[in-house]
Amino acid sequence: MLETARPLGTPLAKTRELPLAIVLRQVDWLLVIGIAALVGYGLWAVAGVTGHEVPGQPHYYLAKQELYTGVGAVMFLLAAAFHPDLYRRYWRALYVVAILTLLLVPLLGVAKRGSRRWLQIGSFQFQPSEFAKVLVVLALAGFLAERGRALRDRSTVIGVLILVAIPTALVFMQPDFGTALVYAAVTASVLLIAGTRWLHLGTLVAATLIGAALLVWILPALGVQVLRPYQTQRLTGFIHPSFDPNHATYNVAQSKVALGAGGLHGRGTIGSTQTVLGFLPENHTDFIFAAIGEEHGFVGTSILLALYLFVVWRGLRALAGAGDGYGAVVIGGIVATMVFQVFVNVGMTMGIAPITGIPLPLVSVGGSSLIANLAALGVLIGVQMRGEGARGRLK
Amino acid sequence: MSQRAANRRIRLLGAALALVLAVALARAGWIQVVRASSLAQLADAQQTRTIPVLAPRGVIFDRNDGELATNEDSITISADPRLVKSAAAESRRAAMVLGLDQQGEAALLSALSDRSKGFVYVARQAPVAKAGQLKRMKLAGFDYTTEPKRIYPQGKLAAQTIGFAGVDNKGLTGLELEYDHSLIGRDGKQTVVKDPAGSVIDVRSTTYEKPGADLTLTIDNTIQLYVQQVLAATRKSSQAASASAVVLDPRTGEVLAMATVPSYNANDTSNTAEQLHRDRAITDAYEPGSTFKLVTVAGALSDGVVSPQTTFTLPYSIRVADRNIHDSHLRPTERLSVSQILTQSSNVGAVRISQRLGSQRLVQWIKRFGFGETTGIDFPSESRGIVKPLDKWYGSDAGTIPIGQGIAVTPIQLAAAYAAVANKGVWLQPHFVERIGSKQAPAPKRRRVVTSAVAEQLMTMFGSVVDKGTGTEAEIPNYSVAGKTGTAQKADSSGGYSTSKYVASFVGIVPASDPRLVILITVDEPQGAIWGGSVAAPAFKEIALDCLRYLEVPPDRPS
Repeated sequence: MLETARPLGTPLAKTRELPLAIVLRQVDWLLVIGIAALVGYGLWAVAGVTGHEVPGQPHYYLAKQELYTGVGAVMFLLAAAFHPDLYRRYWRALYVVAILTLLLVPLLGVAKRGSRRWLQIGSFQFQPSEFAKVLVVLALAGFLAERGRALRDRSTVIGVLILVAIPTALVFMQPDFGTALVYAAVTASVLLIAGTRWLHLGTLVAATLIGAALLVWILPALGVQVLRPYQTQRLTGFIHPSFDPNHATYNVAQSKVALGAGGLHGRGTIGSTQTVLGFLPENHTDFIFAAIGEEHGFVGTSILLALYLFVVWRGLRALAGAGDGYGAVVIGGIVATMVFQVFVNVGMTMGIAPITGIPLPLVSVGGSSLIANLAALGVLIGVQMRGEGARGRLK
Repeated sequence: MSQRAANRRIRLLGAALALVLAVALARAGWIQVVRASSLAQLADAQQTRTIPVLAPRGVIFDRNDGELATNEDSITISADPRLVKSAAAESRRAAMVLGLDQQGEAALLSALSDRSKGFVYVARQAPVAKAGQLKRMKLAGFDYTTEPKRIYPQGKLAAQTIGFAGVDNKGLTGLELEYDHSLIGRDGKQTVVKDPAGSVIDVRSTTYEKPGADLTLTIDNTIQLYVQQVLAATRKSSQAASASAVVLDPRTGEVLAMATVPSYNANDTSNTAEQLHRDRAITDAYEPGSTFKLVTVAGALSDGVVSPQTTFTLPYSIRVADRNIHDSHLRPTERLSVSQILTQSSNVGAVRISQRLGSQRLVQWIKRFGFGETTGIDFPSESRGIVKPLDKWYGSDAGTIPIGQGIAVTPIQLAAAYAAVANKGVWLQPHFVERIGSKQAPAPKRRRVVTSAVAEQLMTMFGSVVDKGTGTEAEIPNYSVAGKTGTAQKADSSGGYSTSKYVASFVGIVPASDPRLVILITVDEPQGAIWGGSVAAPAFKEIALDCLRYLEVPPDRPS
């Protein structure tokens, strides 16, 4: 389908905007509903988790998050409105923007709890690495689309690796190891969809595993410290939860206790003592999944995961129905970005993924993450409604 | 890449992403369903703490509601070494405020440095003011809890009788120990919710504490004070090792006062020798000497072998088995009546009376007066005294026991025996407690020891002891006094009797016509004058004078 419809690397077609009426009919409404349901669930969860956070202001965080949702909705619509060919044509510009904002962070950034990830703009703090995720996906897809017949060459793979290596290195230095991990997983997904040879894919996966082992175990054993000790501990803590001399995994222990205390049905927003009393740290940002688990139980967490799965399913249908290889890579990259962020975040709260600072997409309180994720999903919808699958349904 | 291959890759991606989410879901199920209950317990354990709410001990009052033991607030200071920022700096500041010496400061420093512990005491039951001063310094990891602390407002007054409670507010000696179960009350508890910093933010449940029951004693603080003052003066003037006194109301068996000097301050027990803590009138037995002749004479009168007028021809000395028993002062052989034998405290006469009574019956009378058995007074570790059964008697025992040697009794036993005589022959169990909380203490045990006729004969004879015998120094103007002196050699380590160590005693009953007080004085190892009549009788007189005035007892023998 990728080959026959509009293979990657074919010249750009004339972009022709769709009338609103057709847009409304071609959009995958189930996907939109799924996204809206996730955002709505997130707001509901935030209301419950943060109701006691700021004394006297039960809606302090909810109001903020609602504002971000509004901005995110606009970004979603804007991103969907632009024709994907624009992203494709100007992928270099998008890439440069991503790299430049990431570069600004170490120069002008604001440090919080030991990492420098934020840029201060007025009274807002903005986290470039969140936006860089979607920009890098678009850049990779644009680059791949230009490779034409050389798509399956080794040089293409190397080009992708270079393109990814720069932002990965930049976020790694913040340090934001979690986002770096997501870049790696997204690169693999993008290459898979783009049709990279299995040999190259296999080599990459093997190299990544060896590299990780070097970073975390072998080099430190030889006396070379690439990661800071607290990072190593956070990354390996989930493998040896009982070895925890500096309480690096205190948060995870509290998070698991919160989830377990929630049980099947949850303890409600009042009885959730782990969350309400502050035993669960970062309970509305990085550890919101545990807070949801405590307040709404396994029922609540499984509904949330089911919603993600639903969006993934609709996303992959859109991927299959994308009008061209470029669209397919964009959708694949965006869906994979979301899923891996979900996994790294949720896995962290349950002790099966390293401790990193990745928020839960569309749910964690935080403007940059919410707006960037909604923009990315807007791009996805933009591709979907102009794709073959959408047009096919029209007939 | 073919369409098929492309679709295969999409499915692969889909499967991978679905698998990733499925792993997350499975993990969530494991934690939230399978391990839920154990994790919920962990949550509860770290968030709630059950802390005891200490019930104050019951207050101990004298018979007129004067406080003898009560409680004041104190602050117990503890610390969590894991939260302490600088053990060195904090221990120095705490030691300064609390006034610790160098050793105390070093101990505190090592306690605060031990990060393996989550709880150490800094100071238990510290004064509220000092704790407040320390609290304002906001030392990291320090915690302050209010705790009732036992105090004894009267200090030395009745210290051995009241006893004291330890730092855990548990009674350790005396009435504090005897009535601990009533005084102690029931601690309440509070289940509180704590935040991660450890501050209490909510109270989940409270079981209220039940304060201990108050004790109202039969002790009269005023009489107790007289007794202690007189004893202290007596001990000083006679340079005695110690002196004890028991004051009983013979009509009720109530102990009005009981004291031993030297005493100690109940508020500062750690710095006093443990032997001072004993209430020796109850816990220590001594050889009574002549005061014990009561039993010999009462038994002989009751069994009809003698009457007060029965006379005996008495040499200065007689031999019983391997021992010569002689009177205290050299005299020619003379005829003395039973009454005169008591009045002059003739040892030879008492032995003769006893010989007429027979050892077997003497043993029965000893038992009947309550010797060899505890009186059952409400006090811990009462001594039974030492009374040999007849089959263990040897040689001279038949000659010494009737005069109070070779037998050991406690002052409370002896006082209770004389009180029985004063109470028309009915023995009443001596006791300290009148009321426990709002409940009246059970009526004391009673039993008839001698007939009222015999009791009356005895009272008359003991009256002449004071009027014209060995106890004249106990005479009180305008009151009739009955009594008996005692001067006993103390046993020495070689198994014989010391020639320099004595116990001088006097037991008196006043007014003899209608007894209100039985007062027993024992002076241990007086120097110089050693006679009960000259060492102990004056002490009795002084105490009795004070008491009679205080109790407004009308004179029964106006001059």
